[in-house]
Amino acid sequence: MKRDIVGLIYTGERIDQLRDLTRIRSVAALPVLGRYRMIDFMLSSMIHSEIHNIGIIMQKNYHSLMDHLGSGREWDLHGKRNGMTILPPYMSTDNVGVYEGLLDALRSNIGFLRRSKERYIAVTDSHFLYSVPYEKMLAHHIDQGADLTLLYTKERGVRRNGAGRYLEIDDEGTVRQMECDPSIPRYENTYMACFLVRRELLIDMVDRAVSAGYHHFTRELITNILRDKTYKISGFECPGSVWMMDSVESYFKANMDFLSAENRARIFDMDKPVWTKLRDEMPTHYKEGADVSNSLIADGCIIEGKVENAILFRGVQVKPGASVKNCIVMQDGIIQRNVELAYCILDKQVTVRENTRMMGPSGYPLVVPKGLTI
Amino acid sequence: MPRKKKCVAMLLAGGQGSRLGVLTHQTAKPAIPFGGKYRIIDFPLSNCANSGIDVVGVLTQWQPLELNAYIGSGSPWDLDLSSGGVYVLPPYMKAGAGEWYSGTANAIYQNLAFIEQFNPDYVLILSGDHIYKMDYADMLAHHIQKEAAVTIAVRQVPWEECSRFGIMNTDTQGNIIEFEEKPANPKSNNASMGVYVFTWPKLRERLIADERDPNSNNDFGKNIIPTMLDDGERLTAYNFNGYWKDVGTIESLWDANMDLLQTPVPIDLHDRSWRIYARNIGMPPHYISPTGEVSGSLVTEGCLIHGSVRGSVLSAGVVVEEGAQVIDSVIMPSARIAKGAKVIRSIIAEEAVIEADCEVGEETGDITLIGNGTVVKAGDKVPAGQQVSREGSEV
Repeated sequence: MKRDIVGLIYTGERIDQLRDLTRIRSVAALPVLGRYRMIDFMLSSMIHSEIHNIGIIMQKNYHSLMDHLGSGREWDLHGKRNGMTILPPYMSTDNVGVYEGLLDALRSNIGFLRRSKERYIAVTDSHFLYSVPYEKMLAHHIDQGADLTLLYTKERGVRRNGAGRYLEIDDEGTVRQMECDPSIPRYENTYMACFLVRRELLIDMVDRAVSAGYHHFTRELITNILRDKTYKISGFECPGSVWMMDSVESYFKANMDFLSAENRARIFDMDKPVWTKLRDEMPTHYKEGADVSNSLIADGCIIEGKVENAILFRGVQVKPGASVKNCIVMQDGIIQRNVELAYCILDKQVTVRENTRMMGPSGYPLVVPKGLTI
Repeated sequence: MPRKKKCVAMLLAGGQGSRLGVLTHQTAKPAIPFGGKYRIIDFPLSNCANSGIDVVGVLTQWQPLELNAYIGSGSPWDLDLSSGGVYVLPPYMKAGAGEWYSGTANAIYQNLAFIEQFNPDYVLILSGDHIYKMDYADMLAHHIQKEAAVTIAVRQVPWEECSRFGIMNTDTQGNIIEFEEKPANPKSNNASMGVYVFTWPKLRERLIADERDPNSNNDFGKNIIPTMLDDGERLTAYNFNGYWKDVGTIESLWDANMDLLQTPVPIDLHDRSWRIYARNIGMPPHYISPTGEVSGSLVTEGCLIHGSVRGSVLSAGVVVEEGAQVIDSVIMPSARIAKGAKVIRSIIAEEAVIEADCEVGEETGDITLIGNGTVVKAGDKVPAGQQVSREGSEV
């Protein structure tokens, strides 16, 4: 069965607090949980909600994302009738090339919105890690007689002083107010940068907003709708757990959370696999002398040393005498003999030479940029 | 109308593999899991893909459901092509008749029409029960250079094992002058690997003649090759020196899995230049808990390890609970080894459950085998060499 919803993923701007992790890639391409990128979770939510037409708005640094998505085959999005549409930035009178915000991006890709045939559209940004049943969100949207439904969470872990969007929602589930980047948020509901709306209505909203000179979807468009009460905005609470990747610290904590079985069960469902790009790696080889505890380990690793409270991506090597504790090591990292690492995030293809010691402070892990040899 | 191909591969995947006991009750041998992530058929299919052979007919007959689903469109091996790809070829009804594949040669004979669509110059015959990495393009070049009717891949086996193989005796030029099936007193130790390249018009002619012979077993090794030799065709041997293992028995399947744990490894599956591809199951990375201990083992996606794993190969989604021990064993997808159970020198098939405090296998003696979906009840002991399936146990 196909749902009457088209999906649209905004792969996001750079988030400065993610430092080197997003210097070379968009947030959607951020490697997470040993073998995935953020976008895999957005795509999985949509696919498992029977959304089979998905547009992906690319911004700067989109090469790694293009490489990851390929033809969309791993997600079964390579069909003729349905599938994935990559929407790269380009310059024209309608397209500004560089998007200042989601609204700019929607305006520049209005052609995709017009061409789609589905009655509804679900739009999401990509710095939240979550799983949402869009079919339930749609049922709620219709029940409520809403014009626009915003996804939110009460989870405290994603609240930030001075950043984010917070919603006041009344007993009927209608959104009354939205706070933008408040120094201390007053409302308990964090907007998850994901909404559902009738497609024709969104086109109309974008057209009007652009003529009013707006760039920002929430700060300008939604705030104005709430003030003028032009449309009914409803809230839908995300039923599962939510993580946010807005800084190195939150990225590190979110990944480490998945060392707990309860958290893994919140996102990974045997019947609803999270698909990702394949590398055709062999299983991980634990040699004699390997000593691994409380760690999440992807395929293709060769482990001869000690690994504790760590997440190893595909193809990582830990040589004899090396110790990796409380670390995230991305794809193809090589930890040579007698290296000692703690509280580090090694980006892809980092080699740490023999006898090196590197310890980050526990609350503020060290980030080693992609491809470096230390 | 498909385009002409220089070489088409035909993969014989229809045999029951009865020497694998309860493992093949519901599964065709080529679909049996191997090395944690693979199925046996991934090896010949990946070899084809890596050798640039892009038409592969897979002849199925015994319990084909799992195998067919596994092959699917052929995309894992890049064999989902507009101009070729992988084709599953079961026996089918024809005007007047329709019959099971009665032998390896008959299986190819029944698919003459399939092969002719591609009007090939050569046909490569493969089987679905060997673990090896081989460049078939190099073998084909050898065949063309020797202007042979048939090229047979051979490898040297220990003399004492010659009586298990078809042995090829060659002259100094590498031409095969004699073929001995499982000889008691071998003259050479060049064993056939069951990989043949035929010049297609020659094979076609032979298959038709063989089919007319009521006394023939319609088998490549027993009939086609000996007759061609008798008739003075040019048969040449292609020497292969790499790793090659027949996994047609419980013992050899276990051995081949254990080979992956050796240092240096006799068959390197990390090798980026000759990838072995497999169908993806979409599971998260595996997790080793604070109570888990793993050494000298292969572990793959979706596994949860709370117990101790030594010298073993674990497939996707295997659970080893706290206090359980897995030693020198092969655990196939989604099997569960419960608290306090001990599994030693055993093969545990897909979705089998070894309940708490069981003891499966022994330190010495034959390999123990627990079949697909079989539950070994809490506290039970299964001795060395025993096979247990859902239907009961046998030795």
